[in-house]
Amino acid sequence: MVKRNLIKKINLGVISALIFAFALIWFSPILWMVSTSLKPEKYTIEWPIHWIPRSVTLENYYSVIFESVINIFRPFFNSLFIASAVIVLTLLTSSLAAYAFSQLRFKGQNVLFFLVISTLMIPEEVLLVPRYLLLYKLQMINSYNALILPMVASPFGIFLLRQFFLGIPRDLQDAARIDGCSKFRIYYQIILPLSKPALAALAIFTFLANWNSFTWPLIAIDSIELMTVPIFLATFHAFGVIMWGRLMAAVSCVTLPILIFFCIAQRGIIKGITLTGLKG
Amino acid sequence: MKAKPKTRIKTGLEKSIGENSVFYPYLYLLPYALFFLIFWVYPLFDGFYVSLCRYDFAETQRTFIAFKHYISLPFDPLFRASFINTFIFVLETTPLIIGVGLAFALLLNLSFLKGKTVLRVLLISPFMLSIAAVCMTWEWILGSQFGLLNYYFSQLRLPTQTWLLEKGWSLFAVVLTTLWWTVGFNTILFLAGLQEIPDVLHEAAKIDGAGRWSNFWYITLPCLRPVLLFIIVMQIIASFKIFGQVFIMTGGGPAESSRVMVQHIYETGFQYYRMGEASAIAWVLFVIIMVFTLAQFKVLSKQTIEY
Repeated sequence: MVKRNLIKKINLGVISALIFAFALIWFSPILWMVSTSLKPEKYTIEWPIHWIPRSVTLENYYSVIFESVINIFRPFFNSLFIASAVIVLTLLTSSLAAYAFSQLRFKGQNVLFFLVISTLMIPEEVLLVPRYLLLYKLQMINSYNALILPMVASPFGIFLLRQFFLGIPRDLQDAARIDGCSKFRIYYQIILPLSKPALAALAIFTFLANWNSFTWPLIAIDSIELMTVPIFLATFHAFGVIMWGRLMAAVSCVTLPILIFFCIAQRGIIKGITLTGLKG
Repeated sequence: MKAKPKTRIKTGLEKSIGENSVFYPYLYLLPYALFFLIFWVYPLFDGFYVSLCRYDFAETQRTFIAFKHYISLPFDPLFRASFINTFIFVLETTPLIIGVGLAFALLLNLSFLKGKTVLRVLLISPFMLSIAAVCMTWEWILGSQFGLLNYYFSQLRLPTQTWLLEKGWSLFAVVLTTLWWTVGFNTILFLAGLQEIPDVLHEAAKIDGAGRWSNFWYITLPCLRPVLLFIIVMQIIASFKIFGQVFIMTGGGPAESSRVMVQHIYETGFQYYRMGEASAIAWVLFVIIMVFTLAQFKVLSKQTIEY
């Protein structure tokens, strides 16, 4: 019996080791990226390859951050700024509207809600041309506005928040009403604080969507100062001769903060995605 | 005579938009509605109208030509190539990403496994990365001259390939990159679905003599059905919208063998400035996606599961 248990334990140990080995291979592109970024340019292209750089240098990072004609700071700031602005505006407008849809009564409520929700089916690709024409008319092409404003009114936020608000017990609000609390105060002192998980989920979702947004910024932006991270990297890469050490340093600069964020906030992020993905 | 109840004298403003007025709830909708009308509703109609016009950006005049763009699209070889490649991409990515996603979720759900936090980071985290970062890293790995993959291929005495420059391989390279990048998202959804299955079910099956395989086939999979259906449709829709990976890694080449529909919209509209035609292509894509979305609603509204 003891022997059988031991064999079982060894078996499970071997399986675990295999799974971890596989996971490490799956993750290895990121390791290879960092490894390349730490090598002097002349060692990046050599066979046989070295996973651990023969000599470690930070010159690629130095060059990407301080030397290049266009350094990494500006696009990084742009991406963060745009994502934050969209998150704030989305949370604000969506939560207000979701409050009306879920807690107030008014004429045309269901029709309006159905109208908003039906746009969930519309891929944003179909709006590329007309949005461009619109922003061109408004003279907003090539501005932060062009990257922020069209992203705000996503139907998804309303849908998610309304579902969540509907689940909040009414007793609390009724008690507040009896105490003479105004409807707006109910919104920001009862509904909002109770909806933190849904708001956080929407924030994460909005962040990812904007952080990874590629097509629209490619169309709406052509000045270097306004480039977002994906557009910056794509341009960096289109410059002709590719210096892989530099390029991988640039890629590492924008990847590592996100990875660290993922490691720290893993549970929250996974919860948020489950909430937005399955219940949404 | 009853005394009149004392009320505060209401100002005109309070009467019209105060808490008890019929207009009050609309105030909450106003900020959202502004954005929604300007950046969703208006462009939607305008875009459809543009698709019915010849409208080259240089000219300012829109000439109404009804459905001419739509009729001529099937005869355009570039559109045909992008249409077919997009379908190939959808057919290849959907089963691959869903299968691997499910496999990862099953791994992460194994009860005897320790160090799951680390494992989750290793398997899932790529989906957080920026699209350009992913594409660049994979371009480096798939590079024909000093690429990592070719190095191991030559070590194993396998024929090396110019992955991104070869007709049969370039689209598949994009498929693999997309798999690596996005599978984590589906893994998370599957994992949530797996954790909602009550343990009692598995234990009951075990007592009835079910092995691992039949446990998976008769308990896990049926319980996952709603999640699975949801993920399948979401994945199909997402795959139809493929653009960034192709644009960065292959540029649609070689010889249009990896050209996709959104890329065709982008080039027609924003490189050749044929806005009308670009909008028509976008609407074709829209209709395809809508068919799948409606199918999703139909399927999902039927899904209930009873334990």
